[in-house]
Amino acid sequence: MTTMPEIMSDTQLQGYTDEQKYQVFNKEFMPHIDSMYNFAFRLTMDEDDANDLVQDTYLKAFRFISSFEQGTNAKAWLFRILKNSFINDYRKKSKEPAKVDYQDVETTYNSDEASETEHTTDLRFETVQDMIGDEVASALNSLPVDFRTVIILCDIEGFTYEEMAKILDIPIGTVRSRLHRARNLLKDKLKEYAASMGYNKNED
Amino acid sequence: MSGTLHSSTTVGVEGRQATAPMKESCEHQADCLKRIQAILDGGASEAEKQHFKDHIDICKPCIDMYHLEKCIKEALQGKVEKKCCPDKIAAAIQAEITK
Repeated sequence: MTTMPEIMSDTQLQGYTDEQKYQVFNKEFMPHIDSMYNFAFRLTMDEDDANDLVQDTYLKAFRFISSFEQGTNAKAWLFRILKNSFINDYRKKSKEPAKVDYQDVETTYNSDEASETEHTTDLRFETVQDMIGDEVASALNSLPVDFRTVIILCDIEGFTYEEMAKILDIPIGTVRSRLHRARNLLKDKLKEYAASMGYNKNED
Repeated sequence: MSGTLHSSTTVGVEGRQATAPMKESCEHQADCLKRIQAILDGGASEAEKQHFKDHIDICKPCIDMYHLEKCIKEALQGKVEKKCCPDKIAAAIQAEITK
């Protein structure tokens, strides 16, 4: 974890002058603000909460800018702060809609054993190709936040497993198994959605 | 990133006809699915890449899984709306740090 120091570390290095702080902030951090907002919105599913979360995250990033090492991965560093802020400050009051039976999902998908069992779906790729973005987004949004998170980081933001492991503070093996479970769940949701929309009608 | 690993040499999935008889069922589906996801995510080990190259052309369920996983990944990347940060938030951040 040497490339991503603990953001709350109290051993600040005092390495930058004020001028350099602004420079680093604007050059390294601000270009990621849309990705950060998108991540915040997909986590909170609320525009006001996303606004607050992004703002809080950037202010924290500025306060602890001395622990950011130039040339390292600023985007992953910022995402990690945002994820931690979300867990600490927002998750409890998150307006996550009760679209899924959370308990049921957790029981089914949250044990490591469950991930090892055979999971088949007869969802066809043509069906997914026919879907519009809002339909795919609805399926994604219906996943519990931990599963939604790994899919956003991997598939929407394109982070590597290694970067995800650092952002989420979990081993790479756990990243992979959580992604696997998240995708199985997403496929179930896409399939339900396709069935309800009549996408699979004339198929054998 | 997805896509970068797939040269024209890896490919029942991209159209080449396989010479070995095609398997209609796969006995390692859960493991194969994990491997396929790692390939598409660009996070597969060398051993996984090799296994994928050696087997993907001859197993129909794996080819189907590959197409489905690829398609879902592309839909997430390309179709799901990316929300942009409102300008007022960026401005508020700038105002706050220069205070």
